[in-house]
Amino acid sequence: MTNAAQSASVPLPPPDATNKQICCEYCPVGCGYRVYSWPVGTQGGNAADENALGVEYPASALSGRWISENMHTVVDIDGRDHNVVIIPDADIQAVNIGGEHSIRGGALAKKLYTGSGPTADRLRTPYLRVRGDLVPISWEMASDLVADLGRHVIDNYGELAWGMKVYSYQFFQNTFAATKLAFASVGTPNYSPHHAPAEGDDTPGLSDAGIDAFGAAYEDFSEADVLFIAGSDPYETKTIAFTKWMVEGGADIIFVDPRRTYTASHALANGGMHLQLKPGTDTALYSAIVREIIDNGWEDRDFIDRYTASRAELDAEGGWRRQLFGRTFDELREYLFSRDEFTPDGAAAITGVPADQIREAARRLSGGGAGERPKVAVAFEKGVYWSHNYENTAAVANLGVVLGSTGRPGRSVGRMGGHQRGGQSAAGYPKDKSPHDYLGNKVEMDTERWLVEGNTRFRWVVGQNWLGAMGATQALREATEQLLSVGPQVTSTDPDIAFDQLKARIDAGGMVLVHQETYHNESTALADIILPAGAWGEDDYVRNNAERRMRLYQKIMDPPGDAKPDWQIFAMVAKKMGYDGFDWEDTNEIFEEAAPRSAGSRKDWLALVEFAQAEGRRTHDVLLDFGTTGIQTPIKLEDGQLVGTPRLHADLTFKSDSGKANFVFADWDEVAKRNDILGPADGEMWVLNGRVNELWNNLSDFTRRKIADDRWPMNWLEIHPDDAAAMGIESGDLVSIESDNVLDQVGRTVTGSFTAVAYVSDIVPPGVTFTYFMFPGSPANSVVSGDTTLQPINLRYNFKLGKGRVRKIGTTGLAETMSFAPRNLALGP
Amino acid sequence: MPMTRREFLFAGVATGAFVGAGIVLPVAISLTDDDGNPDSEALLYPRQRVASLSELRNGEPVFFDYPLVGQSNILVKVGAPAEAGIGPDGDIVAFSNLCTHMGCPLIEFQADHGVLGPCPCHFTTFDLARDAQVTLGQATQQLPRVLLTPDGDDIYAVGILRLVYGYSDSLTGGERVS
Repeated sequence: MTNAAQSASVPLPPPDATNKQICCEYCPVGCGYRVYSWPVGTQGGNAADENALGVEYPASALSGRWISENMHTVVDIDGRDHNVVIIPDADIQAVNIGGEHSIRGGALAKKLYTGSGPTADRLRTPYLRVRGDLVPISWEMASDLVADLGRHVIDNYGELAWGMKVYSYQFFQNTFAATKLAFASVGTPNYSPHHAPAEGDDTPGLSDAGIDAFGAAYEDFSEADVLFIAGSDPYETKTIAFTKWMVEGGADIIFVDPRRTYTASHALANGGMHLQLKPGTDTALYSAIVREIIDNGWEDRDFIDRYTASRAELDAEGGWRRQLFGRTFDELREYLFSRDEFTPDGAAAITGVPADQIREAARRLSGGGAGERPKVAVAFEKGVYWSHNYENTAAVANLGVVLGSTGRPGRSVGRMGGHQRGGQSAAGYPKDKSPHDYLGNKVEMDTERWLVEGNTRFRWVVGQNWLGAMGATQALREATEQLLSVGPQVTSTDPDIAFDQLKARIDAGGMVLVHQETYHNESTALADIILPAGAWGEDDYVRNNAERRMRLYQKIMDPPGDAKPDWQIFAMVAKKMGYDGFDWEDTNEIFEEAAPRSAGSRKDWLALVEFAQAEGRRTHDVLLDFGTTGIQTPIKLEDGQLVGTPRLHADLTFKSDSGKANFVFADWDEVAKRNDILGPADGEMWVLNGRVNELWNNLSDFTRRKIADDRWPMNWLEIHPDDAAAMGIESGDLVSIESDNVLDQVGRTVTGSFTAVAYVSDIVPPGVTFTYFMFPGSPANSVVSGDTTLQPINLRYNFKLGKGRVRKIGTTGLAETMSFAPRNLALGP
Repeated sequence: MPMTRREFLFAGVATGAFVGAGIVLPVAISLTDDDGNPDSEALLYPRQRVASLSELRNGEPVFFDYPLVGQSNILVKVGAPAEAGIGPDGDIVAFSNLCTHMGCPLIEFQADHGVLGPCPCHFTTFDLARDAQVTLGQATQQLPRVLLTPDGDDIYAVGILRLVYGYSDSLTGGERVS
């Protein structure tokens, strides 16, 4: 056997193959998989009793038991070549029942390190940049440098000068270890996740309505009569939630997006609707639908009367945001009816969605006053909250509340999720130390603004392509390069000389950049010190999917070379910095230590630990008993049994001091002002960005996976045929996207640009283009604002409101090999 | 000397160079991509007549089993240049029509776009003019390509590239088409 991408045979696992469980690394759905491994040289047979799958080959259609070429690889386990097959788990009772899988998870085997082939360039040793080049160094030297330089910064410049930027999702054990260092030990607010410049809530408007963003179960998508899906194509980015739960449930789909994506076409072909709004106009659209519902008396009166807060209850709320923006039904109604923008015709003029479609959507969502009220699930994602963060999440929350869409089967309002949920903080975020506020109320630090202002002397980036991911990314990169060029560069591998030189840079007002990563990327390209990290499948870990389903992800193999699991790296450095509490033996120990911190939250697993301890077992082993079906958090202990929580708010109490939900002020004037600043100027087009089905995130796996690399050999730009014709652009042409009107982290007007292959398609409307959000070498976020003062309530970027001029600069040669066929061809019933 | 998939398809099968060359069938040939990296494995197999050039019409597919009974394939004259297509217009191609996601039959050829699909089960669409690349969807590999060679007015299937849905080996586990 070889690791040839497309051999004409794959070996079947023999009955005695090692059999472990894991869940998908990629999208928030988190399908369950089995991992079979066995030494190369043997294989199972076609008879059911001759292979570990227990099925007769050839496998039948829809059996979910076929091993495609991309489900197999050969890796080194314990010094010997092993076949590894990663195939959907036939025993799972949730998520991907029946062997369903996406193109991403279905090729998980190709993620594993093989020693040769596409994954051979995994980082396997620490590096130090010496005279501009990265040279291998020992872990002892690398961890000494990271610890000693960090100590120097904290002792001399304070903890606000020491910053970390860490994936927010990954696995509970690793995020707990990172935050134990950053929050519990160092106590810095200079900490932010991979996707935002600041810690904090991504959907504050929904939170201020008292509703958890991840309250729904996938059953709710099946049981709903109407699905209102906004700001993300679930077929492309949460595939099995769509095919298994949304489509099979047969709900009427109302899809909201500026693009006519697959789900839009699917909705239209099956009697649903596509509300094709103009970018940046969500608040007006949702507010208009709510107004239309109220205007006809179609609101869920019983829910509103019993479960939403009064003015007196809102005034008694402790949080400043709910005090400022919480609204009663009457107050919401008064606002919506005071503005022409929210009439069907007024909203149509703003959003481009015809008035009759707004009326029809309101009728479908509420039942139009006839018969039983339909069960409505409102599911949204980044197109909503990364265009106008506070207002859009407030407006979509209002839609959910006015329909009573929460806490009951088929009724929900919340996120579909961008990734799985593995964040567990070890201590509270020290918001009181943040330099940033809104009207005198502290908000989480914008760590990128802080860095560009020159305040960060040490930054440790973990598990992300930081400099591809932030707004105004080229300007941020330039600012970083300047900070790294202050004072001396390292000229020697002598540990003392290297330390002195980096210390001198810090003392001269510069910065040291440490990057902990699996592969080189656009950020490691600038790093002073690189720490090689283990990853998925290289230790035992736990995390939740987007319906709070907790599973154990078992270790398949060791990290390559000298790479170490992230928690071990954090612990090694923390101990050298003089901090206690980092003497963990394994990830189970961290998982058990973290449990009390989860108590009372949506991911509460304290009962799981207490149950395991009462049984005298490891918590990981108890969780393994639940298989890839797992158990939905919060986990409770009832009559000696562990019980999961299918959906939150089932008792119709909400996350507020009063226990009631409420409406939220979605200020259209703020949105309109921001659209004027961020929208395309003369000669510019909208440059929207996002994910697509065949790729995932920063592509660290996917540029190394033949099926993905064949499909998307470079970044592309979708452009409408009319716009393309006017500019003389055809599919396969190389285009340049440029803007000289981008706001950077400190509010300066800067330029940004990238190139891509043109993909001429009516998936986008005229005036709107779309591109992948983080394709290596194609910084789409360079034409996105990096200025969070535009959204001072909650410091987030307006990622989905990029803009630029588009022009042809050549051809790519891809016209004959890459598919430029439509990606939105759908079937009717 | 390793051969690239492109060289194999264009110079080998399409012109009939491998047919009648005295090789013992079936035989596996490992192919590389244009950069010399492992790409795919072609299996040559006893030839089977599957269509005639003069009867093919643009966009009207022909279905046939090959090389094993139940391994269903679609042959189509795409009507526009197709990667490694044969015939006078270079647009005749054939692929397994068992979806490489979960095995559902693909029968909907959309001539306007040159695509097969969407699959009725999970909506994968394959671009037949681009070597059955996944245009959009969940299949974890391209459709297996049936190697074709013309002989006068006849079109013969002579082998298969990539793994057929359901099988652990494209040439075993079933009965040969006679």
